[in-house]
Amino acid sequence: METIINTIVSGLISGSLYAAMALGLTIVYGVSRVFNFGHGVIAIIGAYVTWLMLDAAGIGLVPAVLISMGFMFLFGMGMYQFAINPLLKKPNWEFSTVLFMLGAGILLENVVLQIFGPRVKSIPLFVEGRLRLGFVKINWHDLILMGIVVVAVILLSLFFKYTRMGQAMRAVAQSIPGARVVGIDINKIFSYTFGLAFIVTGFSGILLGTKYYLIPHIGWEWMVKGFVITTFGGLGSTSGTIYAAIILGVVEAFATLYFGAIWVWPIWFAMFMIVLLIRPQGIAGGRL
Amino acid sequence: MLEVQDIDSFYGELQVLRQVSLHVDEGEVVALFGPNGHGKSTLLKAISGLHPPVAGSVKFNGEELSKLPVHKIVERGLAYIPEERNLFTDMTVMENLKMGAYNPRAHKTIKSNLEFVFRVFPRLEERQNQYCSTLSGGEARMVAIGRGLMSETSLLLVDEPSIGLSPGMRKAVFEAIARINTERKITILIVEQEIENALALSQRFYLLKNGQVAFERKASEVDVTEIERAYF
Repeated sequence: METIINTIVSGLISGSLYAAMALGLTIVYGVSRVFNFGHGVIAIIGAYVTWLMLDAAGIGLVPAVLISMGFMFLFGMGMYQFAINPLLKKPNWEFSTVLFMLGAGILLENVVLQIFGPRVKSIPLFVEGRLRLGFVKINWHDLILMGIVVVAVILLSLFFKYTRMGQAMRAVAQSIPGARVVGIDINKIFSYTFGLAFIVTGFSGILLGTKYYLIPHIGWEWMVKGFVITTFGGLGSTSGTIYAAIILGVVEAFATLYFGAIWVWPIWFAMFMIVLLIRPQGIAGGRL
Repeated sequence: MLEVQDIDSFYGELQVLRQVSLHVDEGEVVALFGPNGHGKSTLLKAISGLHPPVAGSVKFNGEELSKLPVHKIVERGLAYIPEERNLFTDMTVMENLKMGAYNPRAHKTIKSNLEFVFRVFPRLEERQNQYCSTLSGGEARMVAIGRGLMSETSLLLVDEPSIGLSPGMRKAVFEAIARINTERKITILIVEQEIENALALSQRFYLLKNGQVAFERKASEVDVTEIERAYF
């Protein structure tokens, strides 16, 4: 019983981190139908920029995160304006954008490698120590991470529900022709969507960078996890992404406990393929 | 109010509109008839900027529209209500209607426009919190018309509003369009296959055939059979 509850807790912690990480992918895909194959490297860049601010510039955690988020926003908008937008105007854009982002990911991974080197880095824990509630043991840091993810998800859903920009993003996600007819500037919304998604993605990279470690190629592992989670949850559905991340996080924890970490991927992919076969639209439908 | 001059429009290599000219005056309801696939929808899409014409001019209150993007055209006060509806399916009826008022000029009139929409379509008031993916075809059409109305435009282009609807729904939709014109003073250019109903609410009509204007007439001067004959 003790082990089971502790395993569930540990699954919820990684699940919430995965949710944060996969949301950026869902937002970009949901609104623009572009599947970002450079996603993991984008997350890594957010983490490295923050590390740079903390370590090299020596500023505090909060300003470091804010600066890095500002950078990610401009980076996302720039990526859209200079690369994705021209590609979207051509036939076969579904395929060319995937290949472009894959290529950009490989290139950027090497840029990160050149700048920061191959040595493992990490962003320090927010708080040391652990909380004990009877037999349940949770690191304070993990608890804070979960709290941050919950707050971030609430803020995002409020943004999508109540702000003009968020509503326009949902409208574009649900019907591009409908959005044009009511006078939404699609190009502007795509551009802000990339900015927002890069912020969310970079932010998740920071969270992951505190829990695990930072090394340039780790982004690809995150990307594949994000890919499985978003498809499992239903491409373009934010709630689906969150459910899927939690489910897969808990599955991962149990798989590690009973079969060993090496079995996590096979089990994830088996579940993923079963869901695809029975319910190709993922566990939850809907868009944003 | 609207002055369309010699527009040509293509889909790929295929020329759909040839030198089409028409005009709509303030306060009018003008109908656009013609066989399917002869360019009626394309003409509305050309005017509203969704599929800009390759040549020719579209003047709205004296301003050239043909080079403007759709969202700028909506801001000028001209909106298109698509036959395909294109609703935001994972939003409620209310959210869809409010999205119609996205352009800045529509913000101030959200409340009065909403009241008007609910007056002409009481069904939508009952269903305001329902998701659009769960609506019937007729209700979805009402939302599409209501959403267009929320844009606070002075000219509405309405594309086959009655297509696929039950006779009862059709009647409700035509009544609503007549009231939009008389009570809201909104000028309307409507594409319709229901010739009789459309003639009853319009002052003039154009007949579009093979991408060209075959003729233009006052609605009171013709009967339905004459128009139907022109289809073949």
